[in-house]
Amino acid sequence: MKKLLQKIAKKSPWLYRINAGSCNGCDVELATTACIPRYDVERLGCKYCGSPKHADIVLITGPLTARVKEKVLRLYDEIPDPKVTVAIGVCPISGGVFRDSYAITGPIDKFIPVDVNVPGCPPRPQAIIDGIVEAIKIWETRL
Amino acid sequence: MTDIVKLIFDLLIFPGGLFAVVFGLFLMGIDRKIAARLQRRVGPPVYQPFIDLVKLTRKEIVVPETAHLQAFRLAPLLGFVGMMAAVTLIPIAGVYQGFEHLGDLLVLLYLLSLPAIALMIGGSASSSPFGAIGFSREMVMMMSYELPLLIVLVTVAMKVGLATGGIATFSLSEIVQFQLENGALLFDYTMLPALLAFLVFIPGNMGVVPFDIPEAETEIVEGPILEYSGTGLALFKLMTSLKMVVVLGLAIALFFPTPLGENFLINLLWFFLKCLVLMVISITVVRTSTGRIRMDQAFKFYLKYPTVLALISLVLTLLQG
Ligand code: SF4
Repeated sequence: MKKLLQKIAKKSPWLYRINAGSCNGCDVELATTACIPRYDVERLGCKYCGSPKHADIVLITGPLTARVKEKVLRLYDEIPDPKVTVAIGVCPISGGVFRDSYAITGPIDKFIPVDVNVPGCPPRPQAIIDGIVEAIKIWETRL
Repeated sequence: MTDIVKLIFDLLIFPGGLFAVVFGLFLMGIDRKIAARLQRRVGPPVYQPFIDLVKLTRKEIVVPETAHLQAFRLAPLLGFVGMMAAVTLIPIAGVYQGFEHLGDLLVLLYLLSLPAIALMIGGSASSSPFGAIGFSREMVMMMSYELPLLIVLVTVAMKVGLATGGIATFSLSEIVQFQLENGALLFDYTMLPALLAFLVFIPGNMGVVPFDIPEAETEIVEGPILEYSGTGLALFKLMTSLKMVVVLGLAIALFFPTPLGENFLINLLWFFLKCLVLMVISITVVRTSTGRIRMDQAFKFYLKYPTVLALISLVLTLLQG
């Protein structure tokens, strides 16, 4: 029974986007390219939702600047379990072009468990969708 | 005794309960699919809403620290139960009689405002500023679309009442019966403005895109349902899908209840088909082809066009009778 529910439930991952101080390049790729009709993520059952309380898969962009750190952690706590984190761009991995800046507290996986990394500056929409598919696979095991 | 058994059956299995939930969720799924096709993408499968519900029941429930707990928990239940009761009032010609009571149209009118009230209670109890904004917008929205709805209902009631020798008939099953005997109101030119007014009322009541001001996703992040997660959210989703069944079913009962022959199943399918066509016209196409408008614009729009259309119908009916 649990297996069956798992199998059904994995087809409905809802996405939520956190901007942890990105330069907006990744956000443009993510929100306006990967989610427009052309690259239709809805066929995977995904839905972009505005509220963190509805989310299953969290997409984080940006290097986690000192200013937004507290807020991002709080937002992350508000997302109900089970959840999967996807880090988009090279910024969350290493800081990217902002590396060694005094304003950066990242990389993100110091504070938040990251499950999938989608590198690129910014990554291609296809890569982002691939990352989401990867995340769905991980999410299934947690349900 | 058998009456009680029938009542329970009505509430839990056939027109209410199980059937209505499946029916509503399927309509929602088809709506999403058609919307996707209209935007030239593949879209989710038609059973996507079922999957969403299953998933939501498996999620953790997060409750804000400052929320008013009882009100926060009870609000989705209130809306869901209200809609469940409303479904049993909708007659499906040739399939289900509806409740043969004198004023079920008025009861339905009250029940129809329950989802909005549930959203208001939920939004204000969640103690989130976005919820509060959503709550106030929901209230204005309700005030604006309720007036044309009321006039349309009164018009239909008077039309049927005057034709049968009384003044007004506030019984849905009598209205349906009248149309079965004398032809559907859809083909009566005096009722066309009222029908148009009702078609405009539907997207407002369902809160789809040009009128999704109370839950504006990109602006106040879904307003009243912002703080809900897990089962609470699932109940709100169920409530919306049931509301769709109620509103579409009401439109069909008021204007075009004519069944196709005697067969139970065929009539049911015919009802489904009518719901589908109505939904595509008044919800799917509208929501894929427009952008959101402002609150004051929506308010003015509802007070101007549907109200005037409904009033024209009312005056014509009175002149005829
Ligand atoms: S990875 Fe590149 S595009 Fe993305 S936020 Fe960092 S600098 Fe901007």
